[in-house]
Amino acid sequence: MPVLALDAGNALFKTLADGQDSSAKPRAELVLEQLEAQGYTAMAVGQRDLVLGVDFLKKKTKGAKLKLLSANLVDAKGQPLFPASVVTMVGGLKVGIMGVSPASGDGAAVLPQGIRGLPVGPAVSAEVKRLRQKEQVSLVVLLAAVPYVEAVKLAQGAEGVDFVVQSHDGRGVGMAQRQGVSTLVPPGERGRQVAKLELSVEGTGPFADLSEANRARDSQRMVEANITRVQERLKTEKNEDTRRSLQETLTSFEARRDALARTAEAQGPATGRTYLLTYLQLGADVASDAAVQKQVERVEPPGSAGH
Amino acid sequence: MALRAPKLAALALLLLLPLIAGAAPKKLVLLFTGDNGGEVAPCG
Repeated sequence: MPVLALDAGNALFKTLADGQDSSAKPRAELVLEQLEAQGYTAMAVGQRDLVLGVDFLKKKTKGAKLKLLSANLVDAKGQPLFPASVVTMVGGLKVGIMGVSPASGDGAAVLPQGIRGLPVGPAVSAEVKRLRQKEQVSLVVLLAAVPYVEAVKLAQGAEGVDFVVQSHDGRGVGMAQRQGVSTLVPPGERGRQVAKLELSVEGTGPFADLSEANRARDSQRMVEANITRVQERLKTEKNEDTRRSLQETLTSFEARRDALARTAEAQGPATGRTYLLTYLQLGADVASDAAVQKQVERVEPPGSAGH
Repeated sequence: MALRAPKLAALALLLLLPLIAGAAPKKLVLLFTGDNGGEVAPCG
């Protein structure tokens, strides 16, 4: 299946004070190099990506396929510092990917001197309108490197955006949540997970979440297995009290099974525009690429504080 | 003249079938990361 890899931002530095830490720069360089090497298409610029300034980012991504995006970061003269979006074809679908960064004056975010963040809402609205009308994209993903509250507002009001993927607060994993006009997706954090959003796209309109129906079907299968076990016991059980108790359990299980079947049925067949969000946990059980591991150990030797 | 309509209908069906087939849902996977915070060797 065609795959598009994207980063929601705040990838490069742990804190805003990392500029004083000599090990922070090689780590940030390695992350950027690996985003490129692993075929990422785009990354939003978050406040923790700006620790070493815009020039560092531009120099490190010069000639790269990876695009750093921000629809609202401008220099002192008001000129955009990064492209607002990129358009790419994936699996026969034209996809618009936008990035947005914190606005200046947002109490929850700090931008370096000489960089201004324009108000988030209008910047996103203008760019999504351009993507939909001029570029005629079928899908719009907004990489929102903004505080969570701001991302919720965007998901509630940014008409034309299908998915808002938020970074800034390190909220980790969670469920995709429909918020007004689009769906807010948590991307995971600190390299511990990858969020996997499987899409089926047919026609237009809002995306439906397949996970509830899938959870209901999984639970239904477990309840059916329990029903079979109870029925088996009923065949051999002679004690009347126990038989009565088993019969009550069976009735309860059957009611639960029917309720789950109704839930699964209510979600309808997997047609139209649907999504399913899961997470790939990058734990010790996931094999490391030997060449990348060597590079990691060069900047962060085993046993070091950050390891 | 009476044969023209069925023939046109057959041609239309023939020509439109690939379009109908092409209208099958498009499937793709989006992989997201975020808030990596300079992490290169996550543990725990």
